[in-house]
Amino acid sequence: MREKGLQTLLVYEGGRHNFLRMNYVAYLTDFISVGPETMLLVPLEDAPVLYLSPVWDIPRAQEESFVREVRAFKEFWSRLAALSGNAGLIGREAMSVGLHDQITKALGRTAVNAKDIIENLARSKTPFELERLRRAAEIADAGVKALHEDARLGLKEYELAAIVEYRMRSLGAEDNFGMVVANHHNQALHPPTDRITQKGDIIIGEITPCIGGLFVQICRTMILGEPAPVVREKYAILKKAMGLGMEAATTGAPASAVAAAINDTFIEYGYEQYCRPPFMRVRGHGLGCGSFAPGSLEDANQTRLEEGMTYIIHPNQYLPETGYLTLGDTVVMTKTKAESLMKSSWDIFIKE
Amino acid sequence: MIFGRHSVLKRGCSTWDPNEVPQAEFQARLDNVRSEMARQNFDALVIYGDNYSFADLCYLTNYFPKVRGGIAVVPRDGAISLLLNIGSRDVPFAKTLTWVEDVRASNNVGADGAKLLKERGLERAKIGLTDSGKGFPLLQLEEMKAALPTVTWHACDPLMVSDRLAKTPLELEAMRAAGRLLNTICREAGRLIKPGRKEYEIIADIDRLARDQGAEDIRILAGETRLNPPSFKRAAAVSNHWAVYLAVQHERYWSEAGRTFILDNDTKRRSAYDQAQAAVAQMARELKTGGAVAAIGETGRRALGDFYATALVYGIANGIGLNQWEAPFLNESDAQEVGAPAIGPTILAEHMTLALRAAFQTEGKMIIFGDSFEVTADGAKSLLIS
Repeated sequence: MREKGLQTLLVYEGGRHNFLRMNYVAYLTDFISVGPETMLLVPLEDAPVLYLSPVWDIPRAQEESFVREVRAFKEFWSRLAALSGNAGLIGREAMSVGLHDQITKALGRTAVNAKDIIENLARSKTPFELERLRRAAEIADAGVKALHEDARLGLKEYELAAIVEYRMRSLGAEDNFGMVVANHHNQALHPPTDRITQKGDIIIGEITPCIGGLFVQICRTMILGEPAPVVREKYAILKKAMGLGMEAATTGAPASAVAAAINDTFIEYGYEQYCRPPFMRVRGHGLGCGSFAPGSLEDANQTRLEEGMTYIIHPNQYLPETGYLTLGDTVVMTKTKAESLMKSSWDIFIKE
Repeated sequence: MIFGRHSVLKRGCSTWDPNEVPQAEFQARLDNVRSEMARQNFDALVIYGDNYSFADLCYLTNYFPKVRGGIAVVPRDGAISLLLNIGSRDVPFAKTLTWVEDVRASNNVGADGAKLLKERGLERAKIGLTDSGKGFPLLQLEEMKAALPTVTWHACDPLMVSDRLAKTPLELEAMRAAGRLLNTICREAGRLIKPGRKEYEIIADIDRLARDQGAEDIRILAGETRLNPPSFKRAAAVSNHWAVYLAVQHERYWSEAGRTFILDNDTKRRSAYDQAQAAVAQMARELKTGGAVAAIGETGRRALGDFYATALVYGIANGIGLNQWEAPFLNESDAQEVGAPAIGPTILAEHMTLALRAAFQTEGKMIIFGDSFEVTADGAKSLLIS
């Protein structure tokens, strides 16, 4: 804030905690709001104040965050009008036009977009964040194990998804960006339908539990019954790509190197066209809550992999012979290389 | 109002059976909306929706966004288009959820929306913009408007409010299905809530009951002293008191309920819970065709007595349907809190649907009772028992 000449930071969240964009308020306070308006006001020299709605959630915010002064959101406006000096705004992307205009009017000027302050701070995960991510990884592994144990013929897709969800919630998962689907030839991942599983179905899953606002992801494939030889043969390509992707993920390498290692593997087997949209776009992406660095694992991303970054590497792939297959682990960058947070085997799981 | 923790992905059963909810249902809605467009002289509507607030988008298209948002472009004549922030490989699945044939993928519905409007010859049009949930990403909205400098934009969030008030038989059936699911959960919950169990373990059981029955989405808030969203921080064991708020989305429509489980013989808390149930029952008696919306609030005030002020903080009544909170609202403050475009009517009409609740603290513990109802000529009909 000092470097940018800011006297105040306004950090906004709209109660839509999501793994596709950063929840800046949660990153700074460890409080995940549920109401439509939450604003953390951070003065340069004074204690922060959290303004939120609904008012009945104020005691939870006081209990879960370090911020001692928590007030109703409607009180924010009088404080805003009294602010002097430059103000930075973080979370503009999550704001409605109306709210943004109201803030600008109350301030008497447009607040500076200051999101890079937090995004730069949050690139590398702290030991506190890593502890939560490791716990989330254990829960994700448990979700995969539950599917292996309880998936059976005759269940509907949404019941398969519920198996995973239940095990993870029972262990404390708060949310899940989870998709589990089953078919002889899956076109893509999607939320579950009421399709009934049949012998020979390939069950693919992208499982993403959330703990303390932080997400990890695991992708795996299983089969109900003995797989056709072609499925084993093609799945082996995913495993090879996963291994090569992990090898390419060295500290200091560009994110694109991981994507290239995976794409080159599929190209080697004649699937170049399937490495591009509409079949495939990215080979992984940043994960957590604090930051999405290094961004998407794709050809154009030159972001260097840094110690403490967490992201998923997933050579998920649609192949014409088998349909969509999934494999992926969340990794953390160590001093030298990527280390998987997951313990589940990369092998395709076969359930007789 | 009671806000739950919004799901990162709507990951429950996601289907559309055209035999159960035929395209004709949506055509009738579209015809009504187009009449209103003609009356207001709009050439087209752009309707934004996301997984947080999808009601208006879904009302016309039956599509509900699973994670990111999207827009429907509704010209006064001609085919509707859906432009969704999804990958192109996700389009075939998206098409299984809607009758709209023109479904397109985009990673910037603002910029691509502008292109689509130009493609439809609407670059000089008068366009109504509906974004009731105020979720249109600000930068994308600015980009769309900047790319169409000769379009005249009119905010028209309330445009569909009156159409959506009285539910059709098919809408009511979806809400009853959600209600029956809630009823099962409420019945089973007594078996699941036992002293010594962790809060998040019980929440997992409740969540499973809903998902195994095909719920599209679920909100759970629970606790002893207040309503908390699910969190790994809630590892404390349940003692002798637990209150739970539940909302279930089934076939796009929400129903809600609240229950309190008192596991000891504390007469004061039991009496307070009796009062909460009686208050909801009395408010429900006001849900009759031609009745005044304000009478619900007045009855709630009388029935809740000293608890009324706290209960107001959680809201005691609001419309429910494609949105957890929709018109009619009791007052401007409730409508504003949820960002609703209109407070709605002051007189109840047949087939409106409302959630009623009494939530407050007593003896340091949370008490909640609530149900969802349909307004009929013969009085309130519970959506949970049907």
